[in-house]
Amino acid sequence: MATHVLFESASGYALFERVQSEEIGAKLEQVQKNVLDLAKFGQTVKLKSFSPFKSAADALENANDVSEGVVNDSLKAFLELNLPKPGKKSKVQLGVSEKNLAGAIKSECGFECTTDEVVQELVRGIRLWSDKLLAQLKEGDLEKAQLGLGHSYSRAKVKFNVNRSDNMII
Amino acid sequence: ARGGAKGGNKVIIEPHRHEGIFIARGKEDLLVTKNLVPGESVYGEKRISVDGPEGTKVEYRVWNPFRSKLAAAVLGGVDHIHIAPGKKVLYLGAASGTSVSHVADIVGPQGAVYAVEFSHRSGRDLINMSKKRTNVVPIIEDARQPQKYRMLVPMVDVIFADVAQPDQARIITLNAHHFLRNGGHIVISIKASCIDSTVDAATVFAREVKKLQEERVKPQEQLTLEPYERDHAVVVGQYNRNN
Repeated sequence: MATHVLFESASGYALFERVQSEEIGAKLEQVQKNVLDLAKFGQTVKLKSFSPFKSAADALENANDVSEGVVNDSLKAFLELNLPKPGKKSKVQLGVSEKNLAGAIKSECGFECTTDEVVQELVRGIRLWSDKLLAQLKEGDLEKAQLGLGHSYSRAKVKFNVNRSDNMII
Repeated sequence: ARGGAKGGNKVIIEPHRHEGIFIARGKEDLLVTKNLVPGESVYGEKRISVDGPEGTKVEYRVWNPFRSKLAAAVLGGVDHIHIAPGKKVLYLGAASGTSVSHVADIVGPQGAVYAVEFSHRSGRDLINMSKKRTNVVPIIEDARQPQKYRMLVPMVDVIFADVAQPDQARIITLNAHHFLRNGGHIVISIKASCIDSTVDAATVFAREVKKLQEERVKPQEQLTLEPYERDHAVVVGQYNRNN
């Protein structure tokens, strides 16, 4: 069972710690119910750390790597700084949205990872309440970051200069 | 001679039953949306300017049901489109962004449209349109892999899809599992021949609806897009995560 959840936002990486408790959120249905209620969900996961991207270029680089399931140096450093060292005693299991990235984290950093249904539900919850849970960000910050990153990500995809429409090759 | 509604100068704008959409009553009735970027057309569509309060002008853009399936559904009398001012919409199959621009007009500055298109050629037009409309986030990526754009999309109220792919039900529900809030809605356009051209359209629609039901979508409405499109249907459903 996941003890932590990684959430990749347009503004930066966030690591959430799952509050371990018998009553709260062990079963999938219970998690689904809790997700809808901020008060309950706020007791299910707590923000452990948030590392904002340094610049628009930094955000784009990270977005490309996350999209391709690559663990780059900044994600690696973020996880190693904030997660307990993997070892015999600690039972750290990191919840990750996507399985390629989960596999890469496991092989690069040695953390156990999971992408099970409970993790997907928790990520939905974090996405739903991200404005409230990521306390450093002001309301609307994330939307602005998504707008900027959407443009730079998409411009890089179409590669050509979008201001020129005369370079079509048919 | 100028055609259409422009010459008459006696156009009256009335709100449509769907919030955020308007009807221009002139020589003929036209479906219009309030232009977020007054003074500019996106794809050569006609614009209508009327007097607003205190000497101001308000500009509307004509929305052609032969070019937009959503407009066809509105004129066809769909009960709810769930796209309204302030809503967040994930738009799959955005193409060049002509319909997206009208959706952006409808949701207005308080709403947002996350427009996904895989084709780079259409994508360029989509990006250029989005530069002017700051409530549109262009996403040039494969809608089959929503994980790839998970950093760009928040929880949304509505998913509109016009992807015309054989596996479109799977594409749409996969996106819903990631980004559609519980109780949110999907509005999808189904082109029968894109899914299976060996059986009649009604059979294709019924099969697609069944696929949606299996993925936690409760169908609420279905209507064909005659006379604007042949063998097309729009299906509206509600996403219920917890049952």
